[in-house]
Amino acid sequence: MFETRKFTEDILAVTKEKAQSIIAEAENETEKALQEAKARFSREAEDVIRNAKAEAEGVKRRQMSEARHKVKLQEQLEKDQILSDVLQQTRRKISEISDDDGKYFPFLVSCITNAVRELGLGEVVVQISAKDLKRVDKTRLEREILKKLGKHAKIEWSKDPAEALGGAIVSSTDGRIRIVSTLDQKFEALESKLLTEAGRQLFGSNP
Amino acid sequence: MSGMETVRIIVEAEKEAAKTLEGAQAKASEIRKRLDSMLEAKREELLRTAKNEASMIMKRAEAEGEAEAQEFERNAKSAIQQVITRASAQKGSAVGKLVALIMGSEQ
Repeated sequence: MFETRKFTEDILAVTKEKAQSIIAEAENETEKALQEAKARFSREAEDVIRNAKAEAEGVKRRQMSEARHKVKLQEQLEKDQILSDVLQQTRRKISEISDDDGKYFPFLVSCITNAVRELGLGEVVVQISAKDLKRVDKTRLEREILKKLGKHAKIEWSKDPAEALGGAIVSSTDGRIRIVSTLDQKFEALESKLLTEAGRQLFGSNP
Repeated sequence: MSGMETVRIIVEAEKEAAKTLEGAQAKASEIRKRLDSMLEAKREELLRTAKNEASMIMKRAEAEGEAEAQEFERNAKSAIQQVITRASAQKGSAVGKLVALIMGSEQ
């Protein structure tokens, strides 16, 4: 009787131990898998945060870049406005000078003399503005031109006025060659240089 | 105790042992089955926390970026204004130089 009880108790004890071992093994496996997975998920979560930080830096950089661009644009607009004002005022000033005989006459003489010299012809046709046709003493003008030219040339004054603020258009008698030396043409030809010079004057090396 | 009785007791004990093992296997199986949902729950928890933090980082960066950009704009505008004011005061002189350039081009 005693031996039988001892035998069955042993069976049950071994079984209980085995059962605990099965459960413990499952728990250990689970715990190990959980820990491994946690490490993996943590890396995944760190990636999310790292990406967010990189994106956040990008957002800040973009905002600053937009601000820089906006400010640069505004700066350029304001500078362009000033340069445009300066060009307008220059045109106005030149128009005023064309009314001032003391300053304008020597310019007109040089303008026509240089054009005649450049054409290299003995006979030329000169067109001046309607305003100059009325008020400029052409005899005096021709005398000064020839004096400055230092040689004889025949100048024919066209009755057809040049559409210009001032200056002249000098042509060969057959009209095939002509040199436009009006104030308007000079302004247009020099506009880019004028803008550069005005920018340098007003804004230094950073126009 | 007769021999028959002894055999019955042993058989009963083995039945109980088999039942205990079966129960242990079932519990182990249940523990393993719970693992997937535990993993999923853990992943969701960690990612949710990370996403919340990421969202905070973005919000903070946007606010900081905006504030920095505004400060930059304020400072830059003030500097531009100084340049423009100085340039405006020199417009007359610049006009004089341009006029001289045009009129002087024939000298």
